[in-house]
Amino acid sequence: MTEAAVHTGMAANIMNYVFPNDLHVHWSLMIVLYPYITGIIAGAFIVSSLYHVFKVQDLKPVSRYSLLFALAFLACATWPLLNHLGHPERNWEMLVTPNPSSAMAGFGYIYSLYAVLLIFEVLFIYRPTMVALKAQATGKMKTLYNILTFGSDDLSPRSLALDKKIIGFLAAIGIPMACILHGYVGFIFGAVKARPLWSSPLMPVIFLLSASVSGIAGVIFSYVLIQKFKGRPVDSKCVITLSKFLWGAFIICFTFEMLEVFQHSYLKTHHWDMIHGLLWGPLKTSYWKLQVGVCSLIPLFLLGILILFKVRDKAFVFFATIASALLLVQVLLMRWNVVIGGQLMSRSSRGFTTFHPEFFEKEGILPAILIMTAPLVILWLLGKIVPMWEDKGVLTSTEPTTGHK
Amino acid sequence: MKNVKAAMNKDRREFIKKVLRGSIAGSLFLVLPMGSEGTIQVPEQIPGIRGKKYDMEKQRFAFIVDITRCIGCGSCCVADKREYDVPDGHYRTWVERYIKDFDDNVYVDCPNGGLDGYQKPRTDIPGKIRDTFFVPKLCNMCERPSCVQVCPVGATFRTPDGFVLVDKDYCVGCAYCIQACPYSARFLNPKTKTADKCTWCYHRVRKGLLPVCVHVCPAKARKFGDLNDPESEVSQILASPDVITVLKPEMGNHPALYYKGLRREVV
Amino acid sequence: MQSYNTHVKRIVLLLVILAVVGYGAKKALTPKSFGKYGHYRAVAIDNEANRPLKHMTNYSCKGCHAFEWEIHEYGKHKTISCEFCHGPYADHVKDGKYVAKLPVKKGVEIKTLCIRCHNKEIKARPKDVIKTIKMPDHLRNQHVREDHICNQCHHVHAPLRYINRAKQILGLLKEEEAGNEEREGCHE
Repeated sequence: MTEAAVHTGMAANIMNYVFPNDLHVHWSLMIVLYPYITGIIAGAFIVSSLYHVFKVQDLKPVSRYSLLFALAFLACATWPLLNHLGHPERNWEMLVTPNPSSAMAGFGYIYSLYAVLLIFEVLFIYRPTMVALKAQATGKMKTLYNILTFGSDDLSPRSLALDKKIIGFLAAIGIPMACILHGYVGFIFGAVKARPLWSSPLMPVIFLLSASVSGIAGVIFSYVLIQKFKGRPVDSKCVITLSKFLWGAFIICFTFEMLEVFQHSYLKTHHWDMIHGLLWGPLKTSYWKLQVGVCSLIPLFLLGILILFKVRDKAFVFFATIASALLLVQVLLMRWNVVIGGQLMSRSSRGFTTFHPEFFEKEGILPAILIMTAPLVILWLLGKIVPMWEDKGVLTSTEPTTGHK
Repeated sequence: MKNVKAAMNKDRREFIKKVLRGSIAGSLFLVLPMGSEGTIQVPEQIPGIRGKKYDMEKQRFAFIVDITRCIGCGSCCVADKREYDVPDGHYRTWVERYIKDFDDNVYVDCPNGGLDGYQKPRTDIPGKIRDTFFVPKLCNMCERPSCVQVCPVGATFRTPDGFVLVDKDYCVGCAYCIQACPYSARFLNPKTKTADKCTWCYHRVRKGLLPVCVHVCPAKARKFGDLNDPESEVSQILASPDVITVLKPEMGNHPALYYKGLRREVV
Repeated sequence: MQSYNTHVKRIVLLLVILAVVGYGAKKALTPKSFGKYGHYRAVAIDNEANRPLKHMTNYSCKGCHAFEWEIHEYGKHKTISCEFCHGPYADHVKDGKYVAKLPVKKGVEIKTLCIRCHNKEIKARPKDVIKTIKMPDHLRNQHVREDHICNQCHHVHAPLRYINRAKQILGLLKEEEAGNEEREGCHE
């Protein structure tokens, strides 16, 4: 039976053999969503750190917003996991008896530490704003601001200078921590030698790079949309600089993704037949047509044209937003193709199983939609507590004021 | 009646002789207290376990599957399902059928995990069939288990006596171990919502009984025994010049499940 | 009296409290037997070891079913477990008391069960392990009506029992064929 016959499905029914326990796909939509969400967190944080640590001044307009964006997604990061677990009420075990040899055991502490870091960075950056808001607020909001500023009204130069140092410190160690937060997720997959699509030292790198892509793209897309919705001007210089970083990160990310497939196809180890069968079989549409074709090549060239040909502001923002949307989809598709695709290949090396998520099941499409809209709702709520943007009239800068003691 | 008695006595003498020679240590009977009333006597199937304190550090067991003897009856699958109430669609052990034609094509199937046995030949094979054989599969009880390595909370582990078990009161059901097992021996039990897999009938072995699948196999295709006992069948097979292999040795897991007569088509 | 670093001091205090409480909680919540042999609850080993048995052995049936046991034990089906055809011991006897009847196959069900192992058409059954036949050829070869069920000629517990007895009566039983199944004077 020719290889072509096998892959075009002619012989699929007779020659397809899946181990009995491989028929069911155990890691489904929730496990696709979890790396997507943590990726956005890490990527958005990097946007903020580009301003706070690397002093990229063009990114000032979104420097605070991207932190809130990251925080909103951070609040929901555990939801897909808790939904997936067979015994979510036992999740405390990850903090009490984490297995040192398991990458997944890192989740409890890595997530908690990162949450602490991000929350405190937000609190420190917003402290002057919240002190000013506290003075104008009444009742519950006043108490809330009091708690969030830790009861301190001191905005003296010395105090603000200390804050600045701390913010710089948090933003700096936040970068390796963001790398670990998403790198360990990649390692969770890369360390599974039993699944040929996952087992690769490139996996943590690819996940981390695509995290940056999704975060930056998420910031661009949501920033432009929010400004348009509120009828406010878009800082095109900010979008242009963000897009340059986006393009650069995506070039590297795409290179590694293609390198992974190329390595398999060149080395042609015994796994190649399965991976070839997967990518040109069940995953043909979602991988080559959608992930690579529509959502990788189009934004790659689109951004390239925008940047290299120095397209003007309004047009740039418009097309950059489209490119960002495509890249957001690309990263989601990449997670889907890796997580689901990797499980479609049976460990029998002789066949593929199928996967069709239902709308109303526990780990189905409806929960996925709810979990992905929740961060947007939380972002909106955060915007009610602190301003997302540097507006005139509200004290936002860390410049010293007079008189407070 | 006299002849019958004579025949039975003859067998009894043979039986006692064998006991004294030590090849059947059936002299040690387990008297199992079955609740408040009554006890049942179950003869020991693995010599050397009963009658003394079980030292976990000193045990070494091996499981050998003899491909040249499996007839695909599925008794092992049925017994295992009954012993553990394994939910439908999930399998702790299963039996695969391999068919080879004259063009070196391999067709593998495993309808319902082999639970119904193989009652009908495959009719969808194009061309003439050259060869057919059955391969039972179960947990390989690796010495370097990848499932244990990845469990985030320590709910699956390798005991000092070499059994990889699941603590179903501690497992969170993340299914990472199921992804990590190269042999697809694990599944998520939909009733307990924890990971589950073949345990080589640890609860039977501790009582000196054979795993259920080994016990019910009518063809002696499955063998289990104590490697510390040089007289045991498994010790003798492993010491013999027969070709003994393991599944997926390239994974580096060092399985304690051996196959005798395994064919090159088996993955 | 607030100073420039009051908020920082309060944050550090909060973090220290969280760390101490967290550490205390970790120590308190860690299961007692955890870590005895490795990174797991040692009590889980005992839990698994003390799991109730469902199957016993063929010998366990002997206590009440000595007659069938003996026929089975000295027949060609000796290696078949009683519990495979009839069901596990625990479904039948609990706490030393009979609780439920175990199924006994009848009629065509018997034929299905026999063919499960003895079907020659499944060409994977090694000859030196099991004898296989093809239906309905087997019946034709034995000059028997084709609606016969297997147990009309073969005793299910000792398949050659009647066959060898018949041969014995006719003087056709060869020396090497005579097994332990023939028990003169034993009747059903």
